[in-house]
Amino acid sequence: MISKRKTLQTAIIYSLSLILLLWSLSPIIWIFISSISSRADLYSVPPQWFPSNPTLKAYNTVLVEGEGFRGGGGQSASTLIRTGLFNSIIIASCTTLLVMAVAPLLGYVFGRLRFPGRNFFFYLILALIALPGWPIIIGLFPMMATLKLLDTKLGLILLLFTYRIPFEMWFMTGYFRSVPSEIEEAARIDGCTRLEALYKIIIHMVKPGIISVSIISFLHSWNTFLIPLIMAYTLQSKPLTVTITEFVGQYFVQWELMSAATVIAIIPPVIMVGIFQKYIIKGLSAGAIK
Amino acid sequence: MKNMNLRSWLDDEKHLAYVILIPAISLILTFGHIPALSSLRLAFMKYNIKMPGKIGYIGFENFVHVLTDPDFHASLLRVLFFLICSLFLVLAIALIFSLLLNQEFKGLGLIRTIVIVPWAIPPVVSGHMWKWIFNGEFGVFNGLLFQMGIIEEYHFWLTGQIPALLIASLIFVWRFVPFVTILFLGVLQSIPKDIYESASVDGAGIIRRFTAITLPSLMTIGAIAIVLTAIAGFNVFDEIFALMGSQEITQTPMIYNYETTFIMGRFGRGAAMAYLTGLILFCFSFVYMRMSLKEQDV
Repeated sequence: MISKRKTLQTAIIYSLSLILLLWSLSPIIWIFISSISSRADLYSVPPQWFPSNPTLKAYNTVLVEGEGFRGGGGQSASTLIRTGLFNSIIIASCTTLLVMAVAPLLGYVFGRLRFPGRNFFFYLILALIALPGWPIIIGLFPMMATLKLLDTKLGLILLLFTYRIPFEMWFMTGYFRSVPSEIEEAARIDGCTRLEALYKIIIHMVKPGIISVSIISFLHSWNTFLIPLIMAYTLQSKPLTVTITEFVGQYFVQWELMSAATVIAIIPPVIMVGIFQKYIIKGLSAGAIK
Repeated sequence: MKNMNLRSWLDDEKHLAYVILIPAISLILTFGHIPALSSLRLAFMKYNIKMPGKIGYIGFENFVHVLTDPDFHASLLRVLFFLICSLFLVLAIALIFSLLLNQEFKGLGLIRTIVIVPWAIPPVVSGHMWKWIFNGEFGVFNGLLFQMGIIEEYHFWLTGQIPALLIASLIFVWRFVPFVTILFLGVLQSIPKDIYESASVDGAGIIRRFTAITLPSLMTIGAIAIVLTAIAGFNVFDEIFALMGSQEITQTPMIYNYETTFIMGRFGRGAAMAYLTGLILFCFSFVYMRMSLKEQDV
């Protein structure tokens, strides 16, 4: 009886796991298959489930030698994707580095220090989460124009970084409070300043928290679309999410190239998830704010 | 010696806090609060960026125009439909997935990694991906239904309003399920195992244990998840934009607002619309902040 129930339970668990796998991965697997299919296979009815001659031609076209595009203002596919990729890497890594540097400081300020106006500043920063995005974005456009930050990578980095501050602060404050302060006090008695104690001792204890906020910030800045769609209009600053979208012409899309570009855009996040799964889950569940 | 002074000056709690906070607060004000206020001012102005000669205050005209605009009403109805479908699906799928991930079995680590993937990839890119899947001429969705004998010929799925909104909702659900799954899982893992054991000793079956222990403990996080899904769903832009551009049949307030402001250049009217939809969203956020601030004492 018991073993029969156990078998049933195992069967349910594995069939649900299979459903979960199919749900999460089948669209991605299909886009991958599309990216290595020849054009003839891709446009066959009914679909060719396994490409008859797998080819990396689409990757070659989008990364090395591209053709011109009606959708992309006549720019070649490889120019669009390579430049977008380069911009995305710069924007996402600079944003992440800033977050890594600032997250422990903010957590320390609100988790450890007492100073006048502490609650006021906390809620002033947190209010950014409650403020809906559109009113900010519309007023932001003239602001960015005044600051000469429109269509620059620096502008995008500053924006993306700023919008991560509330989450960082919230998450790291909680994290600092969960770490005991005795060792830090001992270091202070030994003559360390607060900053020295922070960087020599506490930093090691809050490292997992810093990794969580940094990875989540990386994913957010890699994935961002609306902000650069509005604030970037040349290849000088357009990230991959925007240049991929320009691939889609008004009447015509070359889906094998689109698929290859899509695969390129999702590789970095997928790698991050593979390596930092635990930290992402912690970041998502502990600070359930976007 | 001077160096020494700086060192001890900075070691003061107040000084250190303000030195760190001043840059952070300046960024928040420059790119957050001040733009929000300046768009509030725009909302009371005639301000078309393409007609710089005719800029001036017009009182509540923009608000009146938006509130009486049939296109705006239609966009609200669309997002309502989109939200209802999405909420139901997100909660149901996330509940099942979180119950699965709460079990112990071989391969759990892998499954837990894979469940996050749809959340982690760029939403706009997943919009393009699904657009190809639902393509009317060569899409694999058509192919699948065709080979299974469900349809006789390929259909263009994205031409009708209801199917297009359902597909848009599916894409959002696909992205958002991981997040809600993780929220649920966090709570499920905090339920002590021995409660289940003692209930089972008392003769409670699996369904009784689920309704008496599991569901009640998910109530709070469930409410939080509903609010968060509603906020995120209302704000969806990337997926719909990738799937349909700004076509009318899937024009939600966000897409409509984008078109009004950044394509037509009507910053004044767009700002009024942003504040009106923002008011709805702010109510959601306010409820959420109340709920979650109760959880974490500041």
